[in-house]
Amino acid sequence: MTLLEVSDLTVTYRSRSGDVPAVRGVSLSVERGGSLGLAGESGCGKSTIAGAILRLLPPGTGVTGDILLDGDDVLAMNPGQLRAVRWTKTAIVFQGALHALNPVQRIARQISEPMLLHQTQPTKRSAATRVHELLEQVGLPPDRAGAYPHQLSGGQRQRVLIAMALACDPDLLIADEPTTALDVMVQAQVLQLLGSLRVERGLSMIFITHDLSVLTDVCDHLAVMYAGRIVEEGPSGTVFTDPQHPYTGALAAAFPTIGDPASRMRPAGLGGDPPDPAHLPTGCPFHPRCPVAEDRCATTDVRLTPIGGGIGGGLGADADGVRDRLAACVLVGST
Amino acid sequence: MTSPTMQRRLASTTNVLVRFWRSRPGRIGLIVLVVFGAMALAAPLLADRSGLDAVASRRAGAPQWGSPSTWWPLGTDHLRRSVWAQFVWGSRISLFVGLAATVVTIAVGTLVGVTAGFFGGRLDGVLMRVTEWFLVVPFLPLAIVLATVLGRSVWNIIFVIGVTSWPSTARLVRAQVLTVKQRLFVDRSRSLGASSAYIVRRHIMPNVSGLILANATLAVPISILTETTLSFLGLGDPQRASWGKMLNDAFFESAITRNAWWYFLPPGLGILVVVLAFTLIGQTLEQLADPRLADR
Amino acid sequence: MNTVVTVDDAHVRFGDAEAVDGVSLEVHAGEVLALVGESGSGKTTLVRAIQGIQSLSGGSIEVGKQRDVQMVFQDPTGALNPRHTIYEIVAEGLRIRRERADEKAKVATALSRAGLRPPERFMGLYPHEISGGQRQRVVIAGAMVMEPKVLLADEPVASLDASIRGEILALMRELVDESGLAIVAVTHDLGLAWNIADRIAVMYLGRIVEIGDTEEVLGGPQHPYTRALLSVVPEIDRMEPQVLTGEPPDPRKIPSGCRFHPRCPLVASGEAERLGILERCRGTDVALRVVSPTGSHHVACHAVDRSAT
Repeated sequence: MTLLEVSDLTVTYRSRSGDVPAVRGVSLSVERGGSLGLAGESGCGKSTIAGAILRLLPPGTGVTGDILLDGDDVLAMNPGQLRAVRWTKTAIVFQGALHALNPVQRIARQISEPMLLHQTQPTKRSAATRVHELLEQVGLPPDRAGAYPHQLSGGQRQRVLIAMALACDPDLLIADEPTTALDVMVQAQVLQLLGSLRVERGLSMIFITHDLSVLTDVCDHLAVMYAGRIVEEGPSGTVFTDPQHPYTGALAAAFPTIGDPASRMRPAGLGGDPPDPAHLPTGCPFHPRCPVAEDRCATTDVRLTPIGGGIGGGLGADADGVRDRLAACVLVGST
Repeated sequence: MTSPTMQRRLASTTNVLVRFWRSRPGRIGLIVLVVFGAMALAAPLLADRSGLDAVASRRAGAPQWGSPSTWWPLGTDHLRRSVWAQFVWGSRISLFVGLAATVVTIAVGTLVGVTAGFFGGRLDGVLMRVTEWFLVVPFLPLAIVLATVLGRSVWNIIFVIGVTSWPSTARLVRAQVLTVKQRLFVDRSRSLGASSAYIVRRHIMPNVSGLILANATLAVPISILTETTLSFLGLGDPQRASWGKMLNDAFFESAITRNAWWYFLPPGLGILVVVLAFTLIGQTLEQLADPRLADR
Repeated sequence: MNTVVTVDDAHVRFGDAEAVDGVSLEVHAGEVLALVGESGSGKTTLVRAIQGIQSLSGGSIEVGKQRDVQMVFQDPTGALNPRHTIYEIVAEGLRIRRERADEKAKVATALSRAGLRPPERFMGLYPHEISGGQRQRVVIAGAMVMEPKVLLADEPVASLDASIRGEILALMRELVDESGLAIVAVTHDLGLAWNIADRIAVMYLGRIVEIGDTEEVLGGPQHPYTRALLSVVPEIDRMEPQVLTGEPPDPRKIPSGCRFHPRCPLVASGEAERLGILERCRGTDVALRVVSPTGSHHVACHAVDRSAT
């Protein structure tokens, strides 16, 4: 059963110097209880998608396409409906936890805020009880409820953000770079927490990050983004171990497998820089940096197509529920 | 400075000047200031000095409270002096004191702010307590005491204004220095072996100068207003014409009751316009200060 | 072997926190040493002490002349003064030491070596006009212009986009291979160590708990902390993830005995008790001991001591 269905989403930011196409025709979906990983680097549009789903983008931003949350079109909702849906159906865990928390409010107050706003908890006392429950669930000692954000460590603050996101019992959790800037061990703890939340509460998740290796453990399905488009998608295990798109390959190689002699003393990377969405190259946006680019790559724009004989049509699944593998590269599947 | 940097700085500065000129508020402010500055400098050409002298004016047959006429474009005051002469020569005092007092304010404020912010510790504590003392002492009583003790002259006015205005500049500068001090490029400079003097000169000052400039352009109108206030209160130099003195005379000689608008309107409007001009320039400069925004 | 940095029982204390609590280390010419650990491990403090911008409360560090040690910073955007041109930034080290002769040529060479070619194109630019990866190259050029013997890199690629990390790491390796430069890379990323480091030193709460050749330490980690760190790296399949509970430790409250014992999986699982070392783990401090025949692999752990004797 599909919880979230995004079709042909396009987001264009308006700025004084012109329009910036941050997302250019992205389609994705998340099943109930499923988890989707969205991988990409700065400027690829992944955080914009998160903002678009909850309509948190700056006013005036051009958004077209469909975003169906449990059958309802988010983009067509009026402000009242939107407010009702925010946090109760979908919640976001932002990156940069220190800046996402109000420094002059105790965390218990911040966690209970959405509950009281949405009236999922009728009284302050019941909200306080729920806050304690949530703190336990995220692995924070309940006595920290009265603490201010600066009194907590980075990992603890991230857990507070997760507790806040769970406050109104949402169906879908969007985690935007939740483990960046955290120590390896703390990152592992947070990932473990998110994994257990999925299992225990049937929470559906969208996990956004630039660290491809993290996604393979946490997500079933993976979509790699570049220059506002999805360039490859498929089951997370196979996308990481057998990347089809050259960009996916480069991204995967940036996180070497320890013990693999192929990467010993051989750091792998791409030249150039991730493209500026305001000045995209012609044809396939990846061609200036692509290690296997051919002449036609500079002139032919590419769309996602199924590879390896899938059912086709974009987001279909075969009889076992295994999703299609898709890639956007003229060279894939041409052998 | 070497040629690649020099070329780039030249290009950046030109760019800033061009953008300044393009901004309408900045342009208006600059033109107004140039006009008044020219007027102040060209005072001897615009109005005869004898117009300031009561005796000479009487001899010249000037009327008392004469309304504007051919010989006296802005009329005369209770002592038959030319108001136009007072306005033109008075602008010199207002502008000069405004600028000079600001120089004192900025110089002392920056020195204290940078020293306290950069070195911190006990020195910071001491300097800040001194600064706070000056901030807390009520301005007018201090100004009156100083003017009485030191005597009423232009230089003493400048001193009084400087002494009472530097603390707020010092606090602003210190706050900015504290921020810049933490930045990673200061660490980098230290790791390259830089001395404190080098770091202050090459890293702290360039990142504080924008703030100082904006602060200065907003401090000038404040100094002018303060001079006006002090002169209005009779603490200014009694020998020199100034806009504040004109307002003082106009008030005490009941110019309003007499409908002698030509006596209080010109200095009042003059102050208003000059202060506004500096404010416009200051705001425009603030917007242009950052090189990151400069070339967009 | 040519030793370029010698750290002898270094201590750095901040108030009541022992950030670096007795570290001894040698760095040799032509090698890359990865200094790995979490926040609170003291790795950044140690490196700042080696650079000379942090003073020691005890012990000594020998590095030759101060200019022989240069730093590369984690945040390349913050490390560059936004009001200086690239030329000025790279030339800064030379100007501080008043070495104006051939300044332009030296700056051009440094920019080229760091991969910014042609150098003239970059000299007149401001930091905001180049990309993150290019800014890091400018930082590297600013360090290389001093012709150092040692480069201290604090999380050199952590703030950079994943696809360009490889290039910067390859550049660092290139500089080592072509000129005998030594690099100490502070990082929490074990993959980085696998990519470019000859040796790894794992730090915990101000001490080195394991040190050795990269293959030895990552291929056969002996200290329980190293094993836990390695086990949670997502690409590792061969190990069961051991997620340590609790927060990275507070240097103001260093535990008694082996400072890792409150979080040690061997203690938590009862293994330490079975080995009969639990008392020692809780009560006796432990020093680095050699565990390999080559003498290059050292570990500070009671469990390892037991089998070594």
